[in-house]
Amino acid sequence: MLIVKDLSIERLEKRIFENINLSLSPGNITILKGKNGSGKTTLLKAILNLLEPSFGSIYWKGKLLKKNLYDFYNNVTYIADTTSSLRKLTIKDNIYIWKKFFISNINDAQIETALKTLKLDNYLNKKVGTLSFGETKKLEFLRLIMENKKVWILDEPLSNLDEDSIELMKQTFEDHCSKEGSIIFSSHQNPGIYVTEEINL
Amino acid sequence: MNLLNKIFFFYYREYKLNMSGIQDILTNIIFFFISIFIFIFSIGPDKETISFIGVGILWTLLLLSSTLSLRKFYQDDFENGNLLIIHLNGFSFGFISILKTFSHFLFVQVPFLLSIPIACILLNIANDKLFYLFASFSIGSLILSCLGSISSSMNLMNQRNFLLGSVVVMIFSVPVIIFSVGIINMEESFNSLINILFGILLIVFAINPWASGLCLKLSLENN
Amino acid sequence: MKFLVNPSKFNEMADYLFRPLLILSIILFAIGLLFSFYLSPDDYQQGSTVRIMYVHVPSAWLALLTYAIMTLYSILALAFRIPFGFIFNTAVAPIGAVFTLICIISGSLWGKPMWGTWWVWDARLTSVAILFIIYLIIIFMNLSFENRVVREKVVAIFILIGSVNLPIVKFSVDWWNTLHQPATISKLSKPNIDPSMMTPLIIMTFAFILIGIAIAILRIKTEIISRKSYLS
Repeated sequence: MLIVKDLSIERLEKRIFENINLSLSPGNITILKGKNGSGKTTLLKAILNLLEPSFGSIYWKGKLLKKNLYDFYNNVTYIADTTSSLRKLTIKDNIYIWKKFFISNINDAQIETALKTLKLDNYLNKKVGTLSFGETKKLEFLRLIMENKKVWILDEPLSNLDEDSIELMKQTFEDHCSKEGSIIFSSHQNPGIYVTEEINL
Repeated sequence: MNLLNKIFFFYYREYKLNMSGIQDILTNIIFFFISIFIFIFSIGPDKETISFIGVGILWTLLLLSSTLSLRKFYQDDFENGNLLIIHLNGFSFGFISILKTFSHFLFVQVPFLLSIPIACILLNIANDKLFYLFASFSIGSLILSCLGSISSSMNLMNQRNFLLGSVVVMIFSVPVIIFSVGIINMEESFNSLINILFGILLIVFAINPWASGLCLKLSLENN
Repeated sequence: MKFLVNPSKFNEMADYLFRPLLILSIILFAIGLLFSFYLSPDDYQQGSTVRIMYVHVPSAWLALLTYAIMTLYSILALAFRIPFGFIFNTAVAPIGAVFTLICIISGSLWGKPMWGTWWVWDARLTSVAILFIIYLIIIFMNLSFENRVVREKVVAIFILIGSVNLPIVKFSVDWWNTLHQPATISKLSKPNIDPSMMTPLIIMTFAFILIGIAIAILRIKTEIISRKSYLS
């Protein structure tokens, strides 16, 4: 589906990385490994067409990504390392706004079970700003489930999570792969998640 | 249909955000009224003088207090990544800037519009001038919103000099002030002046998606 | 003409041009000042204060010209992705600001004896003051962004938007009835200025242009070098 060919990126005329090759087909998990500042986020941004690659090209479903951008955006969820839930609103409001804005086909019962597994069901009427960092991170994964898209692009999803949550993440990743979804995520270490491709930056 | 739905819930989201922080909007209004008080104290409570220069004071203070909240125009959405999420859901940056401009108009400028009659009482402005004031401010504030969108998107990556955004808005709002105060003081040429204001609005409205969209894209690229 | 868009070609050309330009501009300044102070007649109305014009008018023209060229380079840089445009904008903005400042100060020195006040809120004066503030904002923007890529593009966009002020400055004396006198020298009609005053004005204009180019060359070269050292 998604093919990255000989991608190189220069920022301020400094080469960040060169000749990255990557191909993602349904059911695959790709991990981007690298130290801080090795350009993991930059590569993810290039895949999302936010950055102009200096050399190389990216293809989506056989066409150049730029020509097929609308279809790509309809099939992708991106989670950055910031908390995107609105801090002034309660979890309930956040979920409602996401559900309507993404025109999600997830029903309320599914959301409730997801909330229960993430252990967030007691905080429904609490404002997001009062939650701890790990809990807001879990809320991000709830968005992942609600958007219900094919390709997940995750930037440092495993940082700041306890072991139970990492176990939960593994489960979620496997579920998604069995439903023909595919995942790219960046991390500086791999805590035993089954990956089909590993890219070292 | 999808698009309309998304636009509606974009505004629902803005509404929720602004209502949860309604004290910010009210603080703007309070700033506006307190600066009117201070102006009157510094000039002296002479009725003739106040009603003579009242319109100019009103417009200046409206401009100043609406540039106060510019900092938050894109900053929150930019920092928590919502701008990117909205973009990935099929809105181009130019379109986001148009939506945001109208949101700023609705939630920041309209409260000022509603508080104008009270300010008119305080400043002894005659009732028959109220209509002209409303007409000029409803167009002028849309221009100010567009300018605010441009300047605050320019200053997203500017971590040091927060005031620069307000300065950019104020330097370009000089013609707006000239023509809209002119409307109120020269009622016989109302039609021609309001047409000039409309012209400025159309120009700014055309520039806004291009400039803000480009700046938003730049900031997200290099964040 | 490639040296106008290519940094390394510009460097070669600059090494070649800089010294003759500097010498020529000093000579022209000497001749021009001699003419404007001793060899030109007093005006029958304005008396000796007319000599301020020989500094005022060239600096005003150059303030506008600098901004116009910056606008051109911003278009080149944004639309055709020529990075030399960004270098040019960063380097030249302070020069334009100084020209505008000279114009404003000499103008108000002239205004005190002639109009009886340092400053009038007249369309021409106000629009030139706004031009000066726009120059200042460009300089401050150049100083206050941390990321270079964002900074140069944002400044270019700002220069493009600010260029609406140029026609307002130019035509303000025609559009509004102002205290400031309308242009005496225009391309379309025969100039209504005496040749004895025309000569020093033209000499001074060329001297200003040459000194402007010389300083611009210096600043652009510094900018290119600072970028190179920043990269490595």
